[in-house]
Amino acid sequence: MNVHPNEDALNAYAEGSLTAADAAAIEQHMASCVSCRQFVDEVREILRATADLGLQDPPARAWTRIERAIQLEQADKARADGARADGARAFQASEGEIASGHDHGPAKAGRYRLWLPWLAAAAALVLATVVGLRYAPGRSQTGAPTSQAPDGSAQVSAGDAAQSVEYELRQAEAHYENAIKGLEQIANAEQNALDPRTAATLQKNLAVIDQAISESRAAVRSQPASEPAQQSLIENFKTKIALLQDTVALINEMRKGNEAGAARIVSGLKQKGN
Amino acid sequence: MDLVARCRAGEVEAFETLYREHAARLYTLACRMAGSREDGEDLLQEIFLQAYRKLGSFKGDSSIGTWLYRLALNHCLDYVRSRRAKMNKLTETLDADASFEPTARRETPIARMDLERAVERLPEGCREAFVLHDVEGFDHKEVADLLGIAEGTSKSQVFKARMKLRGLLGRR
Repeated sequence: MNVHPNEDALNAYAEGSLTAADAAAIEQHMASCVSCRQFVDEVREILRATADLGLQDPPARAWTRIERAIQLEQADKARADGARADGARAFQASEGEIASGHDHGPAKAGRYRLWLPWLAAAAALVLATVVGLRYAPGRSQTGAPTSQAPDGSAQVSAGDAAQSVEYELRQAEAHYENAIKGLEQIANAEQNALDPRTAATLQKNLAVIDQAISESRAAVRSQPASEPAQQSLIENFKTKIALLQDTVALINEMRKGNEAGAARIVSGLKQKGN
Repeated sequence: MDLVARCRAGEVEAFETLYREHAARLYTLACRMAGSREDGEDLLQEIFLQAYRKLGSFKGDSSIGTWLYRLALNHCLDYVRSRRAKMNKLTETLDADASFEPTARRETPIARMDLERAVERLPEGCREAFVLHDVEGFDHKEVADLLGIAEGTSKSQVFKARMKLRGLLGRR
């Protein structure tokens, strides 16, 4: 084979999916072709490196977020069960009272532990950030108002699109600010659970992020259509939320007396600070 | 009582054990399929919440790890499909992306972190096919079924991904 095989065939040769005859023809060509040999070596190196890709550990806060969400679900279920039980009790009581003239008294406590109120609030906020905050500049995806053509189809002019982006950005900003406000309240109220050095480091990091938020906000205000400015603002919001989530997760681990869990989070915070 | 039964009984500690055993595998899959660690973390949370809700339907026909993996894979695929529908972002539009200018040819072995980052930067479409085929080990027929594409498309997307990686990793 004197003509270069195409890259598709070389790729198939590198991964070993060619028939013996086709592979032999390519080998014959490669014996005298440096560039094709090099191509095959490169594809094989990528395949080798891909096979060696390891697993990545999720950040320590990931379990805390899941745990909170589960606790919230359990609390909701317990409330719902309680409401059902109250209804049933009321029904039974009314029947019993009719039958015997006695009240049945309170039902047994549910089997679900109720979570601390602030933690339930944190879970709600964290869920809100997960469900509601996938804003991506330049990509229309929320319920921004659109105009309709007489036939009912959506008609979006350039001006409408710009308005839509601004509308979405404002919505996203409001979501982020709400989440941040709630998480800040929790973190501030429970800050005495942290040792002073850790608390000081967190405050310093938050101040840096706040500065970045205010700069990117100013950039968005002066150039509302600038995607990099929008992206930067959203990224800074996300960074702040992640740091506040880490703070709440750390407080939670300290309160539980889970030193290993707390150490994992502090280690993650230090890595981010470096 | 075994771990699954304890999870079903609502023991959060048992569910944490299940999480610790499988989180890295599922998080890695989610990050690679989504193309970002941030989205991977969100997906991980959704996957484990779904697992918590659906544990009652686990029949024990396969291991709990296999069941979790299938659940995670389906969740990632749903996410990828819905994101693609929302963004209407085709691979072809990214082919002209300036960020895919090849870097200078490099002779050193490929570092894992470089490869991870390069995989994150692959265009949607070819990244999912590459992750499923080259990383997760599905054959092209399976990749095609999972992504709802033709087998030939799976092959061409994986080929395209490898060529992009060559460029991103300075191999050409």
